[in-house]
Amino acid sequence: MKTVLIVDDAAFMRVTLKTLLERNNFKVSGEAVNGIEGIKKYIEVKPDIVTMDITMPEMDGVTALKEIIKINPNAKVIMISAMGQESMVKEAVLSGAVGFLVKPFKEEAVIKSLENL
Amino acid sequence: MFEVFIYETNQLLEQLEQIIIKSENSNFYSSNDIDEVFRIMHTIKGSSAMMEYSSISALSHSVEDLFCFIREANPSLVNFSQLTDLVLKSADFIKAEIGKIQDGGKTDTDSNFLIDEINAFLENLKKNSSCVLSNSAGPRVNFYGTEKGNLEEVNAKKTYKAVLCFEDDCKMENIRAIAVIQNIKDYAAEIFYSPSNINDDNESAEIIRIDGFKIYFKTDCNIDTVRDILSQTIFLKSLSLDELDSDDEIAEIKNCGCINSKPSINKNIQLKSKSINQKMISVNISKLDSLMDLVGELVISESMLTNNLNLQGRQLDYFNKAARQHRKIINTLQDIVMSIRMVSLSATFQKMNRIVRDAGKALNKNIRLVTVGEDTEVDKNIVEHISDPLMHIIRNAADHGIETVQERVHKNKEETGTITLEAKKSGGDVLIIVRDDGRGLDKNKILQKAKKNGLLKKPESSLTDREIYSFIYLPGFSTCEKVSEFSGRGVGMDVVIKNIGKIGGSVNVDSVAGEGTVVTIKIPLTLAIMNGMIVKVGSSTYTIPIVNIVESFIRREEDIITDPDGNELILIRGECYPVLRLYKHFGVETKKQSVSEGIIMMVENEDKRMCILVDELIGEQQVVVKALPYYIKNFKYAKGIEGCTLLSDGSISLILDVSELLNSYNGREMTACQA
Repeated sequence: MKTVLIVDDAAFMRVTLKTLLERNNFKVSGEAVNGIEGIKKYIEVKPDIVTMDITMPEMDGVTALKEIIKINPNAKVIMISAMGQESMVKEAVLSGAVGFLVKPFKEEAVIKSLENL
Repeated sequence: MFEVFIYETNQLLEQLEQIIIKSENSNFYSSNDIDEVFRIMHTIKGSSAMMEYSSISALSHSVEDLFCFIREANPSLVNFSQLTDLVLKSADFIKAEIGKIQDGGKTDTDSNFLIDEINAFLENLKKNSSCVLSNSAGPRVNFYGTEKGNLEEVNAKKTYKAVLCFEDDCKMENIRAIAVIQNIKDYAAEIFYSPSNINDDNESAEIIRIDGFKIYFKTDCNIDTVRDILSQTIFLKSLSLDELDSDDEIAEIKNCGCINSKPSINKNIQLKSKSINQKMISVNISKLDSLMDLVGELVISESMLTNNLNLQGRQLDYFNKAARQHRKIINTLQDIVMSIRMVSLSATFQKMNRIVRDAGKALNKNIRLVTVGEDTEVDKNIVEHISDPLMHIIRNAADHGIETVQERVHKNKEETGTITLEAKKSGGDVLIIVRDDGRGLDKNKILQKAKKNGLLKKPESSLTDREIYSFIYLPGFSTCEKVSEFSGRGVGMDVVIKNIGKIGGSVNVDSVAGEGTVVTIKIPLTLAIMNGMIVKVGSSTYTIPIVNIVESFIRREEDIITDPDGNELILIRGECYPVLRLYKHFGVETKKQSVSEGIIMMVENEDKRMCILVDELIGEQQVVVKALPYYIKNFKYAKGIEGCTLLSDGSISLILDVSELLNSYNGREMTACQA
């Protein structure tokens, strides 16, 4: 079972993702509410996949992504974005994010893409 | 999940309101504030889109855009007041929608009118802004070579052509394409792709959506490895991969050009050691309510058990030890349950900022809200009930109390009127005081109006100021000539009384003409459990709240002084206090009518003290307060009773309302008090 770390400041998104993932045989091994916590949790739980929100307080997702890639260049980080964040997403992708989801997303699509990782 | 959405969105909106009002007051949006607003709107947008509330997500999106522009372009000329209005309007709209959703309704309201307004504002801002956003495109280079210039990769032999199609509706296809390039660039050299302008948003995304994304590259990996790598792309719908024999096709698109994106330079960001740990959980309030009820029952059953008649008169050393331990645990449990339910008033107070701001703007008055003691904690139930009444009182103060700027200047007052909102604890109560420095209440106007409406039940001359002021709480009473948006329909103040009465509180008004009005709301700290002293009078038991008790002592009948009006007083340590014989007050028969036979308890409330004569003290106990039924509460002999409680032997005890007892003596004793 693949383990996932969810980094998102919105409790709603964390719950949504968690339910969605757990329903589909992923194990959510940790949750974090901002980039800094996300990095800490990443080191701590070493998840297979990280879902990373972009807009967060304290440290945004793209910065956190870069730090995680520094720690583990092969880290699989999926950005959670929304329309209107193209430039941030681009930066994330160039910095090593394996992919991104655009809110609102569909369950099948998310699962299918995560399973392929 | 639905609750989380509602809860979180409401929290975010509240946060938003605070930021906006704080910024408006200082007439300056710090970059931090702008970031915050942006982030809040962004989160709301994302969540509401997931929940498929399109009107909310569309509106939050446009606000987000607006703040994104302000953040990026930092325009020098922003009409802050207009901006604030827009954001608050949007917040109100979303709040209303959330309310509808919560009530199980549908969100069919169109938010377009607001979106249009926001867009117009944004356009205007863009036009006026001296700073133009530069959309400088990166330099176009024809091919993408690996940075390392790895020999192996340069010598790569095989050429592949891959066509990738993404899932429908996955959005931002062009950036997904960039991701693909990013993925294979470590394995491949000389990457070409079409469409080549994937940096340019809309067109390329559209092309990829229709035709797929074509990549040509050279690598020494075999076809299966390449397929594996490309298959990892998320949202991939289909992938076709071919090995090419010649470079013809590459040559063809070479002319089209492709982008060279240098990996962005990683900034060295030091991890801040400080991190906010999410150590909170949200719990359904109804669960807390039942927990509270159960603890209340537990307290009663504990005392029923340990004071059980079957145990009386026996030697029970071990049992008593265990019972004491048991009681200690229950006490702790109760304290914790209480503290769980306690919330600070700060959120409620913060909300009032908005009220004052709106009222000030609409009435064209300068009003400042000062809050004191917003950290005071009260039961969650109370917070819910206090918000509406408080809003009414503050609106009233803003509308009727505070004068217009001209009037204030004329009266030699500071131009800006001040409304002070203060909370403090006093014994077992919390006082919430709303003080304004406005024109004060017009006693004559109130009297006339009361007369006109036939509200006077006493001769006019015998009315105290307080009684006159209390007329304004009666239904349909408004001295203001015209009805304004904010107050003046005369329904406000009686609602205030009703709501506060519901939670066992009371309201008091004091006013000095020309100097201002003070409205004091007194509410109990908690509704459910309190420490009480059980006393006996005749065959009845009464409970006196411990917080009110100062001391108890025995005196002789001769110590009692009687003043010319027949009121009894007692001299203690040089001070004179009125004496209330409880058996007389409640008309209870008892054999111990003399002061020397009973016990005197000194009670106090808000610096006023009096002595109560009871037959005997039974002991201290935690009691669960039950409200008196309506018909008993209105019974005239029930004056001075706050509620009732169940004792350990199953009998009922009335809880004394010390403040009411003191007030019934008010005015009588004070004249003779200073001996």
